[in-house]
Amino acid sequence: MKDTTPGTKDSTRHWSQLLEAVGQHQDEQAFARLHAHFRPLIRNFLIANGGALSVDTTEELVQEIMTKVWLKAHSYDSSKAAASTWIFTLTRNARIDFLRKHARQDARTEALTTEDIWDEDDTHQPFVYLHQHRAQQQVHSLLTDLPAEQRQCLAKVYMEGKSHSEIAEELKLPLGTVKSRVRLGIKRLQATLEVR
Amino acid sequence: MIHFHPDDNLLTEYSAGALDRGLAIAVKAHLSLCPQCRTKLSQLNLIGSAMLESETTVDDDNAASFAALMKRIHTLPTASSDARSDEDAEVDSAKHVKSKRFPPVVSKLLDNTGELRWKAISPSLRQANLQSGQDKYEVCLHKIRKGGRVVEHDHHGQEVTLILEGAFSDEQGTYRAGDFLVREPGEVHRPTATQDQDCLCLTVVAAPVRVKGLLGMFVNPFIRFQPG
Repeated sequence: MKDTTPGTKDSTRHWSQLLEAVGQHQDEQAFARLHAHFRPLIRNFLIANGGALSVDTTEELVQEIMTKVWLKAHSYDSSKAAASTWIFTLTRNARIDFLRKHARQDARTEALTTEDIWDEDDTHQPFVYLHQHRAQQQVHSLLTDLPAEQRQCLAKVYMEGKSHSEIAEELKLPLGTVKSRVRLGIKRLQATLEVR
Repeated sequence: MIHFHPDDNLLTEYSAGALDRGLAIAVKAHLSLCPQCRTKLSQLNLIGSAMLESETTVDDDNAASFAALMKRIHTLPTASSDARSDEDAEVDSAKHVKSKRFPPVVSKLLDNTGELRWKAISPSLRQANLQSGQDKYEVCLHKIRKGGRVVEHDHHGQEVTLILEGAFSDEQGTYRAGDFLVREPGEVHRPTATQDQDCLCLTVVAAPVRVKGLLGMFVNPFIRFQPG
């Protein structure tokens, strides 16, 4: 529990503890360290969105997401999700929200907020994910081991927010091929997480 | 016991935030009813977080941006705004006990729609549109009268159905509360509700492509002759 080298199990725990410190006693120092670690990660993640977001927009979104991290940290529970998973869902929702606001669709007629449709955290889960932190590491190494074409498809779904049909069009592949690549990747993930 | 679930592809798109909002409403409603899919979703979200952490870069102006961030946070109206919205949510749900048996996302759509306007599609099938503000997908409720048989029909667009109450069956099986079905365009089916009670479903269907009447028919043939 002493080591905080990036990519180790302990580092996952480390960030989760810092996030809890922010939630429990508005610890600004802990928040500063989370910010230093996650700001470049969130920015990179958003930039991967096929260049759809400008530099200014990306900066604005990162600030928005980090503000949410601060405001919502009190609802974070490290026994249920790693900090990075929790921050991923906030990032995902911020991106969905941003794209919705800039679509031709009139957001005012929307009955539902993004959070009504996509939970921002897993803390409503009926189960406690005891192995959350270990699972996090397993997924990390799984992603690097996946065949390149499966990893590419998953990256396009997650980092670029593209639907399967958008990926098929972009890569000039049949939709079924994209679907099966994603599915194979997911099957590997599930198999990894079930064998503990 | 729920037997029909969104497939891994759909859940993955949902987890990544890559799924159209209309379809995501149906997935979210199913998730509220299905612990099994919630577990799967948690696993899928791990991919997102692994991707988030996949690349490390040097942060050029971290200190400046942190200062800006804290300034922004300290000038927010009240730090307790989040807690207040929680209270609002409680009052809200207490006020609408009648719709509480439905997944929260469905209850909220019902509240927003107000009075449901049921229209008869056939003697045993009624439909009420829900106001969701979506343009690509229509979100509605379908009610099949108990024992009622819906005329054989096919789908012009993809259709997702979530059973909320009761059950119906078709050539491929029997579907009960919580079951999630996807019908692709062109699939023909003939659902029949079970005898014991009416079957209520949430349906999300791709909005029909608007053919602009005579004008469209008149203009379309000429488009291909346009230069460029």
